[in-house]
Amino acid sequence: MKQPLQDHICEERLFESIFKKHSKNLHNFLYYKFGEHLNPKDKVQEAFIKLWQNCSKVSPDKAKSFLFTTANNLMLNAVAHQKVVLKYEKRPQKTATIESPEFLLEEKEYHEKLQKALSNLTEAQRVAFLMNRVEGKRFKEIAELLDISTKAVEKRIYGALKKLREDINGI
Amino acid sequence: MTKEELIKKWLDNNLTLEEQKAFEQLDESLDLVKLNNALHSFKAPEYSINSEYGHIKSELDSVKIKTNKWFYPVLKIAAVIALLLSAYYYTTTLDTEIETKIAEQTNILLPDASEVNLNVNSFLAFNEHKWEDARVVNLEGEAFFKVAKGKKFEVVTKYGTVTVLGTQFNVIQRNDFFEVSCFEGLVAVNHSENRIELSPGNSFRWIDGKINVNDKELATQPSWLRGESSYNNISLKHILSELENYYEIKINAENIDTSRLFTGSFTHKNFDLALKSVTIPLNLSYSKTGATVVLKRE
Repeated sequence: MKQPLQDHICEERLFESIFKKHSKNLHNFLYYKFGEHLNPKDKVQEAFIKLWQNCSKVSPDKAKSFLFTTANNLMLNAVAHQKVVLKYEKRPQKTATIESPEFLLEEKEYHEKLQKALSNLTEAQRVAFLMNRVEGKRFKEIAELLDISTKAVEKRIYGALKKLREDINGI
Repeated sequence: MTKEELIKKWLDNNLTLEEQKAFEQLDESLDLVKLNNALHSFKAPEYSINSEYGHIKSELDSVKIKTNKWFYPVLKIAAVIALLLSAYYYTTTLDTEIETKIAEQTNILLPDASEVNLNVNSFLAFNEHKWEDARVVNLEGEAFFKVAKGKKFEVVTKYGTVTVLGTQFNVIQRNDFFEVSCFEGLVAVNHSENRIELSPGNSFRWIDGKINVNDKELATQPSWLRGESSYNNISLKHILSELENYYEIKINAENIDTSRLFTGSFTHKNFDLALKSVTIPLNLSYSKTGATVVLKRE
């Protein structure tokens, strides 16, 4: 997908391939970092529109960092640090039918604690942690996405895990 | 392997079978798995790349692509530089021009200390900035040159070019009249196809299409510098137009033969005297009304 000979991405096919490669990661990055109420999908669209407007100045290998920086700035412009709230969905579970009301209540409490704990993480920790746990990305992939070292990713994720458990278990 | 390392490996989905077993033995493992399962309900909403691209694609055409504008500031700078350069070029190549009116003489010092006496109703131009490379002056009218020693010195006139190295000479270029007189050194005159070298006392004359080379009296400078003009066998036509250069008058010579030759001189300081010096030897009389003089046969 890399085309080092191209110094711009004004061609629609090239633009499309970049969209398909980065849009989902960008969306998830925004979602985990800023939460849902700031419309990460819209920001992804806006960032890609800006990329298209500036397509003559951005080479394909610079597109990713352009997108992430632009989207991040759009988010920051939209809001001055609000507490991040991640929505959780009740997923139909296989064992749902045989769960006792006590269990369900306990599970609800657990989720609420977890939700609170997640919003207490730093943005950097939360993004890396959720990309790893929820999106199933390896440390190396996250490192590439965020332009940081694998070691730093590991530190963020492990730190997030520790903090979460402390918060939930009330240690 | 420490517990921390094991957990990190688990986080990175990178456990071997034995490590997996070791992990399951940990006190925390149940806790961690529970947490892990719970986290999945925080998954980001479904993001459909294709439908999102469908949205953006419809917008792309209406979005104006910003063209690469780096060259606009560059163009501005280039324009300013070009302007400055042309201004510089214009001022440096601009000739220095000196013009004398009727009855006005002037003395000009050229950049290399060569001296020019510019006679009445004449025009001299030279380029000060190129002087080092080429000593060239353009002349219309009459001038006396004292050229400082140095490179080739050129006087360019309509009727020919005078080339010298370092000398004193006089150049006259009037209507159908071109005369170069050498007073010192050696002067080369290029006139149409001819090249004539003049030694001191010699003069080259081209008048009404005829060339002659004369021996002149050995003077150190032309007589006009002393306030009078002297001529040797010059047709009256030219003498009269010379008179008009020295005095603000108009001479009407319709009734006389202006091709007669005149040898003599006239002063620049007194018009009546000058007119008499010309008319009496040729047996002419004149009448003056205002600024017009009519010549008659006696």
